[in-house]
Amino acid sequence: MSNYDYAIAQTIEDAVSLLNEPGKRSIPLAGGTDVFVALRVNDLWFDRLVDVGRIPEMRQIREEGGKVSLGGAVQFKQAVENPTLRERVSFLSAACESIGGPAIRNAGTFGGNIANAAACADSLPALVCLEAEAHLCSAKGERVVPVEELVTAPHKTQIEHGELITHITFTLPPKKARSCFIKIGRRKAQSISRLSIAVIGTLDEDGIIDYVRICPGAAVATPVRFRNVEQTLIGKRPGKELFAAAGDQLVAEMIESTGRRWSTPYKEVALKTIAERALANIFLQDESSC
Amino acid sequence: MLIEFTLNDQPVSVEAPADITLLALLRDYLKLTGTKEACEVGECGACSVMLDGELVNSCLIAAPAAIGRRVVTIEGIHDADGGPNDLQRNFLSHGAVQCGFCIPGMVIAGEALLTKNAQPSRQEIRVALAGNLCRCTGYMQIVDAIEATANERIKKSN
Repeated sequence: MSNYDYAIAQTIEDAVSLLNEPGKRSIPLAGGTDVFVALRVNDLWFDRLVDVGRIPEMRQIREEGGKVSLGGAVQFKQAVENPTLRERVSFLSAACESIGGPAIRNAGTFGGNIANAAACADSLPALVCLEAEAHLCSAKGERVVPVEELVTAPHKTQIEHGELITHITFTLPPKKARSCFIKIGRRKAQSISRLSIAVIGTLDEDGIIDYVRICPGAAVATPVRFRNVEQTLIGKRPGKELFAAAGDQLVAEMIESTGRRWSTPYKEVALKTIAERALANIFLQDESSC
Repeated sequence: MLIEFTLNDQPVSVEAPADITLLALLRDYLKLTGTKEACEVGECGACSVMLDGELVNSCLIAAPAAIGRRVVTIEGIHDADGGPNDLQRNFLSHGAVQCGFCIPGMVIAGEALLTKNAQPSRQEIRVALAGNLCRCTGYMQIVDAIEATANERIKKSN
């Protein structure tokens, strides 16, 4: 006797029709690294797993005309090994490389990381900085939602029953952009982020910051850009004092969002520090800091 | 449901419920108990197997996900005569085995690394073992055993 069924989808159409079959609560299964952990603690919340990990389009990383498409079932290992991502959005590769250990990276996927929507999901801060959009396919058709808006609260998203994250797209940042991802965990590998930060930016010809995106992870309820802090930095010449001020502002906004919690005395110091380090790495080319 | 796949180079066909993990399929239905069950949340690596050549935690893989794919467990790692292979012998001679519980996973992780990277650095070996916990040895001897095996295999192939 089985508590739930299992179906293998060969195509996206196949998966969508299985997920939308009336009278059955079906959910997509890609890597399984979150689903099987949740099954140990939660009551069963589905009648059928729809295996979407074998759909060829969903396993591909593509780049065309400066736009990248990550299939929903692309594993973190694929992102770590992809030369375009390593070269052009190194903070995303670094974030994926920081997830779990090799066995987790061989299974865990972008679609799963987004749909699970943990506040500490490591691939999300870089995707939010890149203004990545999730493409959701259902029986009603396709809709496109920015990842930043898709995640609405810890473990809550706008994804409706029957919708599948088929792929995630973003525009490659300018070639001269530098990016940085810093993660603090309880150990170096196989650890959940206590706090992280993703930052990407560029300087203009005069050495003035003309583009910057900042998204911390595990700081507030969902991974979001801190736009006010970005505005503080835009148009300024990089320097330690500016970065300290940006770090203070980041912390103040985090506390404004979460209130003072048990972890705040730690996070207010740690977040400022990793923000300063990331900014120094990007804009002062301080390699020691990232 | 019927689950058919290649297990340690042999085709297998087993009738099992759809809601079990690959770990349960291996241990409870195929009686291959070399793959160990410990944390069951993908943190310890005791249940490591190779799926289509990639290291995975079998506690986080659905049994039907193995359909049509190749699975290698510790029972599939041995010399031609059925005895321990070079990596396993090096684990023994380097004192890399104490209580032994994590060792099937460690050997699988080591083999998964060596099939992709014949000459790993010590740092690369440590990264490859990052998801496999050992509470006895302190890892040094395990890294030594994998490094020694890599060196021996390179020498042999030259």
